[in-house]
Amino acid sequence: MYHLLKGFHEYLTRKEEFSVIIIGLDGAGKTTLLEKIKTLYNETPGLSPDKIGPTVGQNTGKITLPSTILQFWDLGGQRGIRNIWPKYYDDCHAVVFVIDAEDRERLGEGWEVFDSVLSAPQILEVPLLLLANKQDSPLSLSVEEIRTDYEDWYQHKLGSARRDRFGEAEMAAATRRERLASLDVMGVSALEGTGVRAAVDWLFLRVQNSRRESQKNSNE
Amino acid sequence: MGLTFSSIFSSLMQWRKEQDVRILMLGLDSAGKTTILYRLQIGEVVSTIPTIGFNVETVQYKNIKFQVWDLGGQSSIRPYWRCYFPNTSAIIYVIDSSDHTRLTTSRTELLTMLSEEELKGVPLLVFCNKQDVEGALKPEEISEQLGLAGGEKSRPWSVRGSCATKGEGLEEGLDWLVNAITEK
Repeated sequence: MYHLLKGFHEYLTRKEEFSVIIIGLDGAGKTTLLEKIKTLYNETPGLSPDKIGPTVGQNTGKITLPSTILQFWDLGGQRGIRNIWPKYYDDCHAVVFVIDAEDRERLGEGWEVFDSVLSAPQILEVPLLLLANKQDSPLSLSVEEIRTDYEDWYQHKLGSARRDRFGEAEMAAATRRERLASLDVMGVSALEGTGVRAAVDWLFLRVQNSRRESQKNSNE
Repeated sequence: MGLTFSSIFSSLMQWRKEQDVRILMLGLDSAGKTTILYRLQIGEVVSTIPTIGFNVETVQYKNIKFQVWDLGGQSSIRPYWRCYFPNTSAIIYVIDSSDHTRLTTSRTELLTMLSEEELKGVPLLVFCNKQDVEGALKPEEISEQLGLAGGEKSRPWSVRGSCATKGEGLEEGLDWLVNAITEK
């Protein structure tokens, strides 16, 4: 009887767990973002920004929301270790790409990397959120500017690719347009915490939705 | 019912035990484990001899008392590491970054250890020590060779450069580790 009740209680309070990976160039503020999320949602505060150095490895964090647990993986973003990201693609439920909106010089490099994430086959169906970080700085590009900057970069790239091989680029462009149309860009300041809750809410809704969709698909 | 009580009791005991955080410091011989330990404890570089058995010291760091177990790293005594695995809150694994030839051995020992059930989910901090030596591998390179990415998803892990004799990188590493432990 006890076990029956216990099982019932567990069934009622069961929470689904979703994995979210946080990626982006080094210095974009991924770890700061994760620590901010922990501070906002958990009782024990995360690491303060001045203690955060470059990540080689993974930092994890878990937050509990109504009926859902979000498990975050913050992965290192230095050039030499970006190749570990795809190892996490297969079983993640959402991807957060952090871009440093203040660092105009590295935007191109950022888009290069973002582009490869965007077209990775394992995560084509996975919700993807682009965060324009460091909105606390007056020098930072706004969300709209970030969006247009990426589009410009992409058009430029497309232009140079078109000269090489026409058909292939056209094909890629079609799938990309679809992906881009559903892409959300949000502005945050991981340092001050502005926009972080909105981003987590977004994640919460999107992982729920994509799960429902996949259930629907499997039922059909 | 009895089971429930005993599990509640043991979780209470566990909670009390957490006042003293137990950390294992492991790695091949001459990686610099003992030097790191004493650098952390008394802030000085001591001259060390190869550890046979273990050194255990309590290190007070930012309101947390660590009980750091520095286990000897020679191949003959590595099998005894496992005797210390229960109730471990974190692992510090020390690698001699300048020792290219034994990196694979170090990797094997590390991966064998991580596959132990008792160390499941335990945070791992890897110190790529001896960064001051010429030809020392960078943390990124070592991380790549260790191949932890993807396989170790249940635990937070971090690979960091350090120089125990100069005391570089140690505090940053511990800050990370404290954060990872309290997170649990």
